[in-house]
Amino acid sequence: MVNSESWDWEIANKMVADTSKWKSQFEDVWEPYISSDGEKIASIVKVGEGEFNIAVNNATWGEEPFEKIWYSRFSPDGRLTALITKDQEWTMAVDGKPWEQMYEYIWDTKFSADGKVIAATTKQDGVYAITVDEKTWECPVKLHSIASHVISPDGKTSVAIAQTVATAEADVNAFTKGSWSVVVNGKPWKENYVDVYGLTISDDGKNIAVEYRAAICEYGIVVNETPWNEKFACTWEPVFHPTNSNEITTPVRQGGQWFLATNGRIVWDTGFYSLLYQTYSPDGSKIAATVAPSFAKWTIAVNGQPWSKTFNECLLQPCFSPDSRKVAVIAKDSGNWFLVVDGTVLGEGYDNIWPPVFSPNDNKVICKVEKNGKYAVAVNGKIKGKEYEALWNPVVSPDGTKVMICGVEAGKYYRKVVLLSDL
Amino acid sequence: MKPTIAIREPVVDDALDQAEAKLTPEQIEKVINEVIDKETGGRLWTYVNTCIHCGLCSEACHWFLSNDRDVSFAPVTKIKDTLWVMLKNKGKVDAAFIKRCSQIAHTECNACRRCGMYCPFGIDIAYMILVVRRICAKLEMVPLYLQDTVHSHAATMNQMWVKPDEWIDTLQWQEEEAQGYVPSARLPLEKEGAEIMYSVIGPEPKFLAQLLGNITVIMKVAGCDWTMPATAGWDNSNMAMYSGDFEVMARVERLHHETAQRLKVKKIVMGECGHAFRGAEYDGPTWMGWMKPPIPIVHAIAFYYDLLVSGRIKIAKKVEGPVTSQYPCNVIRNAGLGSKLQYIMNEVCENFVDLIPNDRHAFCCNAGGGTINCGPPWKKIRVQSAKLQSENFKRTGAHTIVTPCHNCHSGVEDIVDKYKLGMHVKFFSELLIEAMEIPEDLQP
Repeated sequence: MVNSESWDWEIANKMVADTSKWKSQFEDVWEPYISSDGEKIASIVKVGEGEFNIAVNNATWGEEPFEKIWYSRFSPDGRLTALITKDQEWTMAVDGKPWEQMYEYIWDTKFSADGKVIAATTKQDGVYAITVDEKTWECPVKLHSIASHVISPDGKTSVAIAQTVATAEADVNAFTKGSWSVVVNGKPWKENYVDVYGLTISDDGKNIAVEYRAAICEYGIVVNETPWNEKFACTWEPVFHPTNSNEITTPVRQGGQWFLATNGRIVWDTGFYSLLYQTYSPDGSKIAATVAPSFAKWTIAVNGQPWSKTFNECLLQPCFSPDSRKVAVIAKDSGNWFLVVDGTVLGEGYDNIWPPVFSPNDNKVICKVEKNGKYAVAVNGKIKGKEYEALWNPVVSPDGTKVMICGVEAGKYYRKVVLLSDL
Repeated sequence: MKPTIAIREPVVDDALDQAEAKLTPEQIEKVINEVIDKETGGRLWTYVNTCIHCGLCSEACHWFLSNDRDVSFAPVTKIKDTLWVMLKNKGKVDAAFIKRCSQIAHTECNACRRCGMYCPFGIDIAYMILVVRRICAKLEMVPLYLQDTVHSHAATMNQMWVKPDEWIDTLQWQEEEAQGYVPSARLPLEKEGAEIMYSVIGPEPKFLAQLLGNITVIMKVAGCDWTMPATAGWDNSNMAMYSGDFEVMARVERLHHETAQRLKVKKIVMGECGHAFRGAEYDGPTWMGWMKPPIPIVHAIAFYYDLLVSGRIKIAKKVEGPVTSQYPCNVIRNAGLGSKLQYIMNEVCENFVDLIPNDRHAFCCNAGGGTINCGPPWKKIRVQSAKLQSENFKRTGAHTIVTPCHNCHSGVEDIVDKYKLGMHVKFFSELLIEAMEIPEDLQP
């Protein structure tokens, strides 16, 4: 995890950079990103014909411009990464310094929880792999494609869904024999599957689960190469219990309805028209999921019991309070987005709402909202403070007393720390 | 009920032949009854019991009319020879019958829904055809190339086996191409909070990459705040919807919408494709339990219409000579965008020669509904059965046919080729690039 204790939590309103100057300094300025601690803001900038750099606060990132730069992202430890080209080859650059190895292509940067480990998908000489801190997997079989990858929180395990068997055009028989598998730190699982989805790794990095398609109409879950005995008409992404990684829960479809199953056994006996985004509480005692008890009536079910309040468009993923008592979710109803806590709508509707965070005592739910093209911080659904041209998700301090708010006002980027009690 | 005499040239489709060899009567009976009992309801029974077998639907069908009024191609016959038999026999039918069902439902009907408009009771015959396809798909009785496309959707979340790096690389290449027209044009990848997520169908990065360059120019000139995903979820097409594999269909549609949700956009603007609009606007959301798409969907026709009406793009020089347009069923008959299509044609073309019949009554290109994806084995009968529309095109005397739909585009190219019409086939974006004004400050 990012250690936010070391961040500057002094109450202050600090202008970090006057980003309005960038527009006159550079030919083009792309959308900005900020570091986790809010101390840095960065945008890819065009400095000449076929020459790009990144503006970071009041400096530029690389010593020399690159032919192309994209996907600039801060690692949780504050280093700025981006994918760059030199002489028409690609690589990762970290704080402006490219990795030594160049690739035909590189994409989908991922970080360990503390940001110390950086991984990405790479392609070289037609072979796909995951490259972790400049070291590329040595895989005993050729990987013909990589669909997605994850990295464990400690950065020690990287896993990918990969095509392990080449199939000729329109060879449906080869496809149904299985040509996709899971590759862990470069070692493929022994079985190939028709399709593999929903790659998940446990918080302790020891267990890996995926959905798989056993046949055209048969779906199931595989955990560490062992499939559940049960098969279903469809499944969605499995999730691990937060403290017991032997427990895996997933939505499954049976007889035209969706149920929740844990380790293959249906645990919510009520079937739903739709069920997804199952989420464990931090203590693991509860599961909340987004459900539609009937068509176009969306709500949250906690341990199988749906709220009475429903919404007619959609719900996003539910979020538990730190003490596992409350559940918040963003819901869309009749064209507006709402913050909902334990079945009650808080505040007004917005054009957009970003994922909410609870205060440590559960009394306040804080989120970034958008209305009429401006952004603001909302507490319990009501806007507090000023509007911003750009805003990032507010962060609560480790002691739960303060909130960091990072936003752009009149072209200037500010990092503010305010007392939670003042919001 | 006597079986209809259907005279067809033999077609070899390995997937259908293999499925026929594998299927058992028990499997067939189980799947038919499961689908009928658990996946259909009052809608199906109302249609089945309301039909008085008048045959008026036949006059609406381009298959029937293009094949010398052969009754075996009539919509009512297609239901009589498939679903009625399944229902009457309570699922006790053989593998050869299921194979014939697939041939009828997958390769001889576009689910264009014109017949339903002419049915005195408004029976949605295409819906029943899709029920037949669903049964066939669950029995793995799907034409080879259509099934391969569905496998592509299932494995890669796009219909053309485009790998993730190929997708991003193509976008970056087309951004450079666009900069040849407008040096400051940008194709913004993964821009969270943009107003628009633009999505396309698999053939664009695979074969028609210039369309990605075109939209980059159009977005720049129109001053749009837009983005495209660098992840799976960029493809809005869905042949699984047409094969009958609704689980894969739902997974693809869910990812498409969730990608837009992740990027926090206000709307999805989709490229020129009809079936993709249907899947993203209706079939996918319905299966997921969404009343409507969680992020609103705007088809390219409606988008270009808005840009022209609002003056965000202006026409510098209209396309000369007679130009006509195909009316894609899924966005015209089924979504009412006909008048917007006509507005664009009149704005962009000096001489828009309309089809007769037009708008909601226009005939299908005969490539839609997944039929063109059934591939080379079925091409001959498909193009032969588009004879009627070839005559309609010919009557316009146009030098160019506009097709704001990828399936229409490919299907109409086949028609032009087979019937030697000597016409060009273009997308709206190609016409706009030719005709629109590039403001001085954006020019090279």
